[in-house]
Amino acid sequence: MTIVTIGIAAGTMLVMAVIMSYILGWANVKFHVEVDPRVEAVNNALPGANCGGCGFIGCSDYAEAVVKDNAPVNKCPVGGAACAAEVAGIMGIEAGEALIFRPVVHCGATADEKKGRTDYFGEQKCAAATLVAGVQSCTFGCLGFGDCVAACKYDAIHVEKGLAVVDYEKCIGCGACVKACPRNIVTMSLFEEDRVPAVLCSNKDKGKDVTSVCDKGCIGCKACTRIDDMFVMDGDIAITVGDGYSAEKVENVDKAIEKCPNDCINYVGKTV
Amino acid sequence: MGNSKFKGFPGRGSFRHGVHPPDNKSYSAGAAIEVMPSPEQVVLPLLQHIGAPCQPAVKAKQQVVVGDVVASAKAFVSAPVHASIAGKATKPGVVTLPTGRHLPAITIKADKDLPVTSTQEIWDSLKSYEWDFAEIKGFDPHDIASAVHGAGIVGLGGAAFPTHVKLMPDEKKVIHTMMVNGCECEPYLTPDYRIMLEIPEAIVAGAMLAARAVSAKQVIIGIEDNKPDAVEKMEAAIAKTKRTVSDADIRVAMVKTRYPQGSEKQLIKAVLDLEVPLGGLPSDVGVAMSNVGSMVAVANAVIRKVPLTHRVMSVTGGGIKNPKNIFVPIGISVSEVIEFCGGLKPEAARMISGGPMMGFAFSDMNTPITKGTSGITVLTRDELAGGLETSCVRCGRCVEACPMNLVPTRLAMASRYGNVPLAIQYNINACFECGCCTYACPANIKIVQLVRTGKAMVAASKQNEK
Repeated sequence: MTIVTIGIAAGTMLVMAVIMSYILGWANVKFHVEVDPRVEAVNNALPGANCGGCGFIGCSDYAEAVVKDNAPVNKCPVGGAACAAEVAGIMGIEAGEALIFRPVVHCGATADEKKGRTDYFGEQKCAAATLVAGVQSCTFGCLGFGDCVAACKYDAIHVEKGLAVVDYEKCIGCGACVKACPRNIVTMSLFEEDRVPAVLCSNKDKGKDVTSVCDKGCIGCKACTRIDDMFVMDGDIAITVGDGYSAEKVENVDKAIEKCPNDCINYVGKTV
Repeated sequence: MGNSKFKGFPGRGSFRHGVHPPDNKSYSAGAAIEVMPSPEQVVLPLLQHIGAPCQPAVKAKQQVVVGDVVASAKAFVSAPVHASIAGKATKPGVVTLPTGRHLPAITIKADKDLPVTSTQEIWDSLKSYEWDFAEIKGFDPHDIASAVHGAGIVGLGGAAFPTHVKLMPDEKKVIHTMMVNGCECEPYLTPDYRIMLEIPEAIVAGAMLAARAVSAKQVIIGIEDNKPDAVEKMEAAIAKTKRTVSDADIRVAMVKTRYPQGSEKQLIKAVLDLEVPLGGLPSDVGVAMSNVGSMVAVANAVIRKVPLTHRVMSVTGGGIKNPKNIFVPIGISVSEVIEFCGGLKPEAARMISGGPMMGFAFSDMNTPITKGTSGITVLTRDELAGGLETSCVRCGRCVEACPMNLVPTRLAMASRYGNVPLAIQYNINACFECGCCTYACPANIKIVQLVRTGKAMVAASKQNEK
């Protein structure tokens, strides 16, 4: 090895580095992608939870959709009204109403109140237990093995006494629990107020069949529907109308809660 | 191998993999079929088979007699339901079957004013019937298939696939062999064994009719070699046909005892050395297969014009006082059946619809017996394989046990962690849930249950894609 060899090697590297840097510089100009600065701005305005609650893959995907495809600005369940207003400001449009949706578990019976609960030694997951007939008599109600708990990234849903309960203080409304529930008893509901009434039962069978499996099931007696039109019948089960509740209806709802023979109507939401 | 009975078939008399669980058939194998007295009421679910549900064909309070249609089948892959006792129908209620299905069901309450056909009479007339094998040649294949459809016959081995679908003459798929499945590889259960011993002629008559419907050249009755007396009885019954009355050559194939020999794909492999393609049906390799009990029902439906209203089932296991094989009206409740067999022993711990390998654990004593219920097995705590689940040690015993050559541990873990693409890549839907993997697993992992869950996940994800 001589000085000459080292010189040749060092020289070659130097020349190559210069050539490469020119190629990079050229590529930078040639392949430049025009990014709308608003995408970046919207992305910064969003909370960055990447929960998917808006229906897009993550915050940046939603930001792009807002700017390029005119997606509604009020889709973010985490940011709520403030975030919608900020995004609307960037886009220069009206924010519109930012509706708050939160999950509601449509089952109100704890493990003791459900009939036909048996010892179940199989895979401790709702998705597996729902395929087994002997776990509990009700084929609609909460199984309590916590598939929703595992899906929640915000520690906002827990199984208490065999029943999934949402912690509305922590819930951001991303909807992961709704997708995780194999019995589809968790649904996203419109929260007009901090606390809204809900029918806490999903059993679509007729009254007699419901009482044979649960003490707290909706028997389809229609008592609540006669008190206020925010309660309607969906086959043999009562449901609440999507945007039927408002603060003035408190009295009627209290009456309905009292009238319900099986205590399956109650308020859900933040504790006041 | 010393299996002299097996000569003359292309197959080797067995299949690869599988397990040898203790068969425990001694509980009920020696018990001759007894007849249940007619119950006060029967509950008839509107979906007792694989396929489309039936539509109610009776009004509330309408009077029906044994054999009347109470629910009709509009779709092709479906089977009508017939009244199994005389009485008054009620409005459809709901019932949850051991399979986890929650469906509408019509209840029939016995009515004393109606002419009563006792279960005993129905069984006696079936048992003493002189089958005229010469007559079989005179039936038109299409008439056979439609008679089978009209009688609501489904596979009585457990899966309950509508039999007429298999027997429908099809020009595109040429059927060369009609196989009758008398393996009964499921531990504990013995109804098929008792049927083969007690009414073998009815099986042969049904098999010849089925062969005629699909224009099969031969009939092969597959029986495991742990039932030599059944083989003898069947061969004696075959001799009575003199083999001249039908084009079909009828033989018994005595296959080796191994679980799950009674699975159709494994039986075809063992006897004919044909491989049913992945996701395919026996008809893809020119075979139609049906259970021995279904063959009796076919003979009953076509020759005697009697629909499927009763079936033979076992009530067995260490938790039953007097294990029996019984002839029951479909729709009778489990509690009545168990009571007829002396009731439960105090140490009874788990009730299973079907056998311990493929059956479904359930807890509701009011569950009705359906067309597909081949038995009720009640296990004691000692018979239950318990134990805490531990981690998979990658020993590969499940892979060695899987008769479908799958990788059960992969499927189970894909299911547990919700990896649908991996489950599909490893052909989760090829699994027919025989339970060999779970039986073989030293870590007590509930592999079959996880695979079942995984299948439901795959189905749900396909639904979402649409």
